[in-house]
Amino acid sequence: MTPNPLALIAEITHRCPLHCVYCSNPLQMVAKQAELSTAEWVRVFEEASRLGVLHAHLTGGEPAARADLEELIAGARQAGLYTNLITSGLGIPEARLPKLVDAGLDHIQLSFQDSQDGPAQWIAGAKGHAYKIVLAEKIRQLPLAFTVNLVVHRQNLDHIEEMIEFIEQLHPERIEIAHAQYYGWALKNREHLLPTPEQLDNCMRAVESAQTRLAGKARIDCVVPDYYARYPKACMGGWGRRIMLIDPSGRALPCHAAGVIPGIQFDSVREHSLEHIWQESAAFRMFRGDEWMPEPCKSCDRKTQDFGGCRCQAFLITGDATATDPVCSLSPDHHLIEIARATAAAEAPQPTWLYRASVG
Amino acid sequence: MAAPLPTSQPHLAAGCRWATHADKPVVLYPEGMIRIQGTGRHILELCDGQRTVQQIVEVLAQKYGAADPAKILDDVGTFLEALQKKRILDY
Repeated sequence: MTPNPLALIAEITHRCPLHCVYCSNPLQMVAKQAELSTAEWVRVFEEASRLGVLHAHLTGGEPAARADLEELIAGARQAGLYTNLITSGLGIPEARLPKLVDAGLDHIQLSFQDSQDGPAQWIAGAKGHAYKIVLAEKIRQLPLAFTVNLVVHRQNLDHIEEMIEFIEQLHPERIEIAHAQYYGWALKNREHLLPTPEQLDNCMRAVESAQTRLAGKARIDCVVPDYYARYPKACMGGWGRRIMLIDPSGRALPCHAAGVIPGIQFDSVREHSLEHIWQESAAFRMFRGDEWMPEPCKSCDRKTQDFGGCRCQAFLITGDATATDPVCSLSPDHHLIEIARATAAAEAPQPTWLYRASVG
Repeated sequence: MAAPLPTSQPHLAAGCRWATHADKPVVLYPEGMIRIQGTGRHILELCDGQRTVQQIVEVLAQKYGAADPAKILDDVGTFLEALQKKRILDY
């Protein structure tokens, strides 16, 4: 029996004022005219709640690019979901913030690109750092859970201590230090983003020291990036096990990146119920369980912990979506990761970024 | 932040709330939920921002009769502090 999903990632738009070089959106993005309507999203939230989903993560692109964000939050909350807004803060004028709270928002996760204006603008390909600081102060005055998210990588890890101190001044309850993950735009820019082993060691030490210093004030989450881990991450808690992602046009995917795997038909919420898609669709069943697994996964006792790792990463790196995730030290393709790490350890040239594109 | 004082008035942190999942009470917070049963649930239900830790201990001492109030105070303090560090509770 398939367990019900616990979280719905609602990618409500791909429109975004930022162009972050590590954006997790697909290279092929959905245009505004193809986006689901307000009523369609509200129906999705109601169906999700009936299916046992607890959390709705409203994300993008920049979710505030939707003029009906308040209605979407209210729809999710009225459906009984915990509502989480993942935002750059741009597109939320100060006056809009209380309206989001009134609509029933539970938690806001605000992303920063750096502690300093110049580097933040360089990574985001747009201005916005100063406004994020203003907005953070306003958020803190509202009855919301508040998380600050910071993506870290080769170009900013040399001042990780300073960045954590900067975030501390914004007084969030939670701090997420997220290592860039190499999908979409980030994979295109990987050689300039992948940290060196020394940067990673220093980062983990800095995080540990901040965790002790901030205990009881802010909880800090940071995991070793999978390129440097011995075993793969349990991507999305396993394919089709806990999480369902709906893209701006209503396609249901098991994760952000699954669209890169060729030959999968993703059903749309415009044509099928969430329950049908979760239980019956070929896309969600494709890598569920362990039938599909090759060796060394199939006989590995870690297969119930990491589920063979990430299917999209396996495809992006080896060309075969059914391969063992190459970040696993037991993978026959692991040398491809070792080469990427060795490249990162070598002297790096000045980055020439491929910035995330705009979408109309 | 240290352990709660007997005069502290614990309550769920902003953005953390009770809900029902699979017919059982759970506490929802940004990254997930806690399925909470038994004494833990009883303690957390008493954390309404009004009652002090001392009053919560009195309620529990009455309910569990023989238990030593000093021991209960100690156990409740440890429990609340752990939830506070997860930023699910404030006091």
